[in-house]
Amino acid sequence: MTSLTDRYLAATLRSVPAARREEIATELRASIDDMIEGRTADGHDTATAEREVLTELGNPAQLAARYADRRLQLIGPTYYLAWERLLKLLLSFIPALVGIVVGLLEATDGDKTGGAVGAGIGSAIEVAIQIAFWVTLVFAILERTNTPLNLPDWTVDQLPEYRADRQITLTDTAAGIGWLVLVIAYLPVQHFHSFVPNPNGGNLPILDPALWSFWLPFLIAVLVATVGLEFAKYRAGRWTWPLVAVNALLDLAFAVPVIWLMSTDRLLNPDFVARWEWLGREENLNTVATVVVVSTILITLWDVVDSTIKAYRNRH
Amino acid sequence: MVSDEILRTHLQELRRGTVVVASLVALRQPGYGYALLQRLTGHGFPVDANTLYPLLRRLEEQGLLTSEWNTEESRPRKFYRTSDSGEALLGRLLDDLAAVQTSLTGLIQGVDR
Repeated sequence: MTSLTDRYLAATLRSVPAARREEIATELRASIDDMIEGRTADGHDTATAEREVLTELGNPAQLAARYADRRLQLIGPTYYLAWERLLKLLLSFIPALVGIVVGLLEATDGDKTGGAVGAGIGSAIEVAIQIAFWVTLVFAILERTNTPLNLPDWTVDQLPEYRADRQITLTDTAAGIGWLVLVIAYLPVQHFHSFVPNPNGGNLPILDPALWSFWLPFLIAVLVATVGLEFAKYRAGRWTWPLVAVNALLDLAFAVPVIWLMSTDRLLNPDFVARWEWLGREENLNTVATVVVVSTILITLWDVVDSTIKAYRNRH
Repeated sequence: MVSDEILRTHLQELRRGTVVVASLVALRQPGYGYALLQRLTGHGFPVDANTLYPLLRRLEEQGLLTSEWNTEESRPRKFYRTSDSGEALLGRLLDDLAAVQTSLTGLIQGVDR
């Protein structure tokens, strides 16, 4: 029968480098026996003394780590900040990007349109987990091998600009992005759940399904790029001329196709139009088209002018 | 009144380096793990066994201690002794400890160095 001490030694030595195992075993056994002897001399019985001594020595894995000079942490202070920064950077855009691309591919693939949103979200989560796992694994290995990262030292020049008078507030940015995400989500959603039943009880998309071959994915891409612009605007804190230029470009990239498609009667689903008696009449459809075109022009114009004025105010 | 937890961690921080100094002083006379543990405790340096035993091996690897097996007694024991380089290091550490004490006394009495 093996004693508690034998079991304790075996558990400790399992994770000590093999080269030193024998010697540590002999020394540790002698030390344990010495400690037990010290306690029995005080009148304890051997079994109790053995339990007390081993309890005092504590978790064998911890003792072994001390012998092997091994760190009991996954990622220590040397690497933690680099790990955190890289992880945040990668997670900030890659999962969303992959999710959108996968969602769009599913949506444009004729047979599988039903699960496009779900497939997009699923892939985004999967990619996020993969990124988190692999980045953490690499840093855990660096921690164990003590690999120098050779990152440049921190300097005061890296301090972010502090602006009490920021033009672009967090609330504006959050609202802007929230709105864009809703619009992006609505485009595929209206295809499957427009809440307008067709005569057979199925679903009647509002926008022309033919547009999925190019124009709707293109508009979604423009909206996603606009989300990126919102981030860039918030980082800059104020309107700059490059931001105004990109903003105008994205505005046009969205407005021009919408206006063109609307005025050539290609934006709305013909079946959807036919479903409503009022909308089906030529003159009424033209009125709707005019309203859409004019409001698109006005909104675009207002956005471009507004950004230009704000950038102009910042010139000094 | 500070909590026991805070007091304990600060005392631990303060005492951390002194175990090495005390061990290097005590091992000017050769000694084995458990005997050293008893001696240190007896002289007001309470130290955990699971800290001291690995520490002795580490100091030996750094060449600050030398060791020798004694097989004459009831069980084989590894006797450690402070090496020459251990003695040199100890000198530096003791000087620094004295400097800390001097600085602290000066600070308490408000005397500039």
